[in-house]
Amino acid sequence: MTADLQTILESKRRYRQHLSARPIAEKLRMLDALRERALLLRPESSSIVREEPTPYRAGNPRP
Amino acid sequence: MTDTSQNLHERMNIQEVIQTINHMQADGIIDAYAIGGAVGATFHLEPVSTLDVDIFVSFRTGPGSLLISPRPIYDYLTAQGCTAEGKYLIIAGWPVQFLPPTGPLAEEALAKAVVHDVAGVPARVFTAEYLAAIALQTGRAKDKARLLQFIESGILDATTFQDILTRHALAERWAQFQRQFLSDTP
Repeated sequence: MTADLQTILESKRRYRQHLSARPIAEKLRMLDALRERALLLRPESSSIVREEPTPYRAGNPRP
Repeated sequence: MTDTSQNLHERMNIQEVIQTINHMQADGIIDAYAIGGAVGATFHLEPVSTLDVDIFVSFRTGPGSLLISPRPIYDYLTAQGCTAEGKYLIIAGWPVQFLPPTGPLAEEALAKAVVHDVAGVPARVFTAEYLAAIALQTGRAKDKARLLQFIESGILDATTFQDILTRHALAERWAQFQRQFLSDTP
């Protein structure tokens, strides 16, 4: 364990790289587990999300 | 594991979502499809927590009709026991949103999506460069965070990404993003 921020950030970066490199089937199982945990923390009885759907745009953005 | 979490775990299977969509395509309900959003990003990055699945599809028009309709998707999936909740169809425990390409960028992303192998199951997914460009275009805080993940991962092909940004009038937005997040001096 260290209190050095740079070491911590580097460790996090390496862990993200490690996760990125996992087989895709394993990463998708992680998504299943992450969503399961999110639902268990939610008080609603419905399984549906309360997340705002992504506002995909119909055209190009205004500058 | 509690009964509740066990039930959730048994129901929730994103690989089954992909298989269902492949069957739907094989049965002629949809033409091309591609996975976008956080699930699409997970094919390229570390797993990104999300609550739904975005599937971009080219809808088929009905006989004698020029209108595109998601109705065949709804009918097909509900006939297989899936339920509808709001904008979502629940497949294997996941809320899935079927989206037509909403503009030239998404249309191109759908056309150029690539097939990944998920333990023997084919999955058509937006490329990293298109996911990053769409995140830039969409522009919410979590989209910017995802774009930063793509940049920090080093997996974007710079030439391809710049070409997409230029052709879809996103160069100025990209410059603004770089000034805000990638510059040492504000």
